[in-house]
Amino acid sequence: MRVSRSELFAGRAVLLVLVAITVLPFISIFTTALHPSGDVPPGLDWPADPQWGNFLEAFRVANMTSLLVSSVFIVLAVVPISLVISTMAGFGIGLLRIPGARWLLLLFIFGLTLPFEGIITPLYFLARSMGILNTRLAIVLPLIGLFMPFAVFWMRAHFVNMPNEISEAARVDGASTWDLFWRIHVPLAMAPIASLGILMSVWAWNQFLLALVLVEDPSQRTMAGALGAFQGHYATDIPLLSAGTIVILLPTLLLFIVFQRQVISALLQGSVKG
Amino acid sequence: MVTTGMDRTRAPRRAGPLAVLALLVAACASPGAVTQAPTTAPTTAPTTAPASGEAPSGSAAAPSESAAAAGPNCGTDPVTLNAYFETGFDLPFKLSDEFTKQFPNVKWDIKQDQFTNLMSSTPRLLSGDNAPDLIRLPSMVSLVKDGLLKNLDEYVTAFGWDKFPPAQLAQNRVAADGTRGSGSLYAAGLNYSLTGVFYSKKLAQQIGMTQPPTTVDEFEALLAKAKAANLLPIMAWNATASGGGLAFPLQNLMAAYGPTDPINDWIFQKPGATIDTPTNLTAAQHLEQWVKSGYFPKDVNAIEYTDANARFGKGEGVFMFNGDWQDAGYDKDQPQGVGFFVFPPSQSGGKVAAMSAPLTYGIAAKAKNADCAASFLNWVATNEKAREIDVAVGGSNPGGPPDLPVPPAAAGSVINETLAAGAQVGKDNGAMDFIANATGSIFAQGWTPELQSLVGGKEDAAGLLKAVQAEYEKELSR
Amino acid sequence: MVGWLFVAPALVMYGLFVLQPLVLTVQYSLYRWDGVGPATFVGLANYADVVSEPRLIETLFNAFRLVIFFSLIPVTLGLVTAAIIQRVARGWLGTVSRTVLFLPQVIPLVAAGIIWGRLLSLQGLVNELLTAIGLGGVTRAWLGDFDFALPAVGVIGIWVLLGFCTVLLLTGMAKVDPALYESARLDGAGWFAEFRSITVPSLRYEVGVCVTVTVIAALATFDIVYVSTGGGPGNATAVPGIQIYILAFLERQVGLASALAVVLIVLVLLVILPIQRLTRGDA
Repeated sequence: MRVSRSELFAGRAVLLVLVAITVLPFISIFTTALHPSGDVPPGLDWPADPQWGNFLEAFRVANMTSLLVSSVFIVLAVVPISLVISTMAGFGIGLLRIPGARWLLLLFIFGLTLPFEGIITPLYFLARSMGILNTRLAIVLPLIGLFMPFAVFWMRAHFVNMPNEISEAARVDGASTWDLFWRIHVPLAMAPIASLGILMSVWAWNQFLLALVLVEDPSQRTMAGALGAFQGHYATDIPLLSAGTIVILLPTLLLFIVFQRQVISALLQGSVKG
Repeated sequence: MVTTGMDRTRAPRRAGPLAVLALLVAACASPGAVTQAPTTAPTTAPTTAPASGEAPSGSAAAPSESAAAAGPNCGTDPVTLNAYFETGFDLPFKLSDEFTKQFPNVKWDIKQDQFTNLMSSTPRLLSGDNAPDLIRLPSMVSLVKDGLLKNLDEYVTAFGWDKFPPAQLAQNRVAADGTRGSGSLYAAGLNYSLTGVFYSKKLAQQIGMTQPPTTVDEFEALLAKAKAANLLPIMAWNATASGGGLAFPLQNLMAAYGPTDPINDWIFQKPGATIDTPTNLTAAQHLEQWVKSGYFPKDVNAIEYTDANARFGKGEGVFMFNGDWQDAGYDKDQPQGVGFFVFPPSQSGGKVAAMSAPLTYGIAAKAKNADCAASFLNWVATNEKAREIDVAVGGSNPGGPPDLPVPPAAAGSVINETLAAGAQVGKDNGAMDFIANATGSIFAQGWTPELQSLVGGKEDAAGLLKAVQAEYEKELSR
Repeated sequence: MVGWLFVAPALVMYGLFVLQPLVLTVQYSLYRWDGVGPATFVGLANYADVVSEPRLIETLFNAFRLVIFFSLIPVTLGLVTAAIIQRVARGWLGTVSRTVLFLPQVIPLVAAGIIWGRLLSLQGLVNELLTAIGLGGVTRAWLGDFDFALPAVGVIGIWVLLGFCTVLLLTGMAKVDPALYESARLDGAGWFAEFRSITVPSLRYEVGVCVTVTVIAALATFDIVYVSTGGGPGNATAVPGIQIYILAFLERQVGLASALAVVLIVLVLLVILPIQRLTRGDA
């Protein structure tokens, strides 16, 4: 493709502007976080005496250690279970093609369009009647359910494309359906499973509404849910709030930067399939 | 979607939301019929009281007579009071510390939460297995209706609360028909707050204010002077998250131009009460004029309660309408730099009036240690040390028996000014509840959006009152 | 039926925590219930309230207004940006801008709301920059202004979703047969003609996905509005999610909240189905 010099220049300029606009908010909150606690600093201003301690302070006042433990617990409870059961379901629908598979698939797809807030009210009363309100289970169980449409859809898309020969060969060797699934197909599905795992981890980590409604105590919530509470408590102290925000978004940011390729391709494939 | 601060005055505001199991059994074949298993006790980590240097040093006082001797008490066996406090306010934590100091057998399991969350969780907390012995109440009527709150009448006689000034307890009484103001007692105030006008002494001097204004006209002249001097006349908050803070000056203006009784009637939902009266219109028109004259911050609709205080503390704004719960904060931000006066009447020498509300705490009907919790409430009102803490940390009048003196605060503290003002309001019988408390969502659905519209030039004074009255009637008709 | 055993666990979780609440939402919506006491059957009265009460129906209008910001602008701008990256930034610049543009997508929306709440305040960076370029006269507290609060919330949405659309469309562009461009070039087609006649049509499917995802994001906004404006000033930024939350959990009008929820669910379906049909050719 030949591109004229002026186009090259203009195009790159536009791109740089867009990148700058995207990054500026991050820089702004970062410089804000370094100002003395209690200040109301201007938007972009490198402080004379950067208060790196603000991050530690935010870590302390937000009770970050227990938050991290809580969020990690939620992710560790939600993601593996979701992976296992959605892979099984994807296998059943996509590969075994059980009778009614098409309807089942449509049922799950329907869930893809469902706004969380559409069912949050009954979820609250359900959690209450199950006696799990205010515990992490109140986030974990509904979240697994809410992840199912996407997760099943995703895994089914993988299995539906697996050539039949693999299964047939295994059948000839006398493998049971479970063996077929566990010994043959799961190892072959590791790539989509890993992508799905990363995706669901990020989503669970960032989940706000469930945490807000179903768990009162911020230290039992997800990171995003806790951030909402943190904002309530420290709304006046802008540098501290900024530092807290950074501390809370850092894990997903780092996860993204490390697993950049996987996350992007996962998100994209996911939405393309969806 | 509310932050602290105003909640004080707004205490019994929204119908406390959601929850409760026992009653549901009745409602078969309806959503209420979802089978209810008992909720597990919330597993909140106990929070220790935040340390702060401002509390009076605690000398290990001997157990006070009133709490130990008369009536129900905490006994001598170890007891752990299960309490829910409001995040962001030191007072109950300090009081509980002191109580344990005086009664070492009493330990505390304190959970705290933001006021907004308390509003939605109170019914469930009260109905749960581990019902709190003591809880900050965001609202009362619906909780009483649902039978979740302990009727405190027996303690009234046991502790002699009937000797307290009746007005003190009235706001925490709920009658059988669900109206507030009379009937059985369901909560007690840790203290009794007062609202009015705070001012920066430095800026007030700059505009030539030598003594507090005695009429609304004088006050408006000061506002004009401040504006002319390029100062922000009034710092205020009006963002959705905190609720419409302009309701403070509005209600003050209402009480300046008209009698307080109709306002209280409206708040207590007396039949036929209306907020859309000629004198209230005059009041709203004054407020509208203030808005148009640029007396409030340009971005007031985006300012939250905490921001407003922080900015006032940094010297932005000559005046600020607020309550004495913020005293300690003002003293900290501008030591000896903040003064207070009750909003003046329209005519010189007229009676003053102010919003005043108890910092309400109640006991769950299912509480395991109700007697001990009640004796704590009595102790707060009568123990000398407790009353000192009440004033120094809470900034408000501790109430209690009329013959007990109100402990003075540190010299130069704005607390002394609010306490003195409280006496004046009491003398003029000018205490009002807050117009935001009239119905469950009159504040969120009526006052706040309408006051924001007034600021945004989308609504005028007459339209504001009409809209709020319409919302009020709609809510009462439900 | 071994196959069904594989599907059962996922189906159970989905049924228990999605389908069951969905049915309950519909059921609640026919009752007047405060979440505590007995419920009264009121038929469709709650739905009548949803369409007749300005503060409820306005949330739906606001949600559709947000579609402009959450969907139309990110998709259009994303197309342009992707085309630019494709043409002039194939090397490191492309990689870096792709990564950076994508960053807002991975942080919690709550964090985005907090960050922008500060940027858009009276003393925030946005007003500083406006003042710096001589537009000091238009500065305001954007999120507290009746006319600008919703667009301001929309800007947050653009920031979050632009990278997603760009990267998605970029992968689509990579799949377009270069021969198409060559022949267009031989015909003397310019940059824009090429963009319009080749790039956009070949991306029908990716555009469809982008529109679907972003439209759902717009109609189902909650986090950003909750932290940045709470729905105010007035009702200027109130969206269905916020109003459902307030009605159900603060005002105890469970029936009304559920009716609004059902309306929202149906609207999302009504909007999404045609988009799917258009871009896929089949259902």
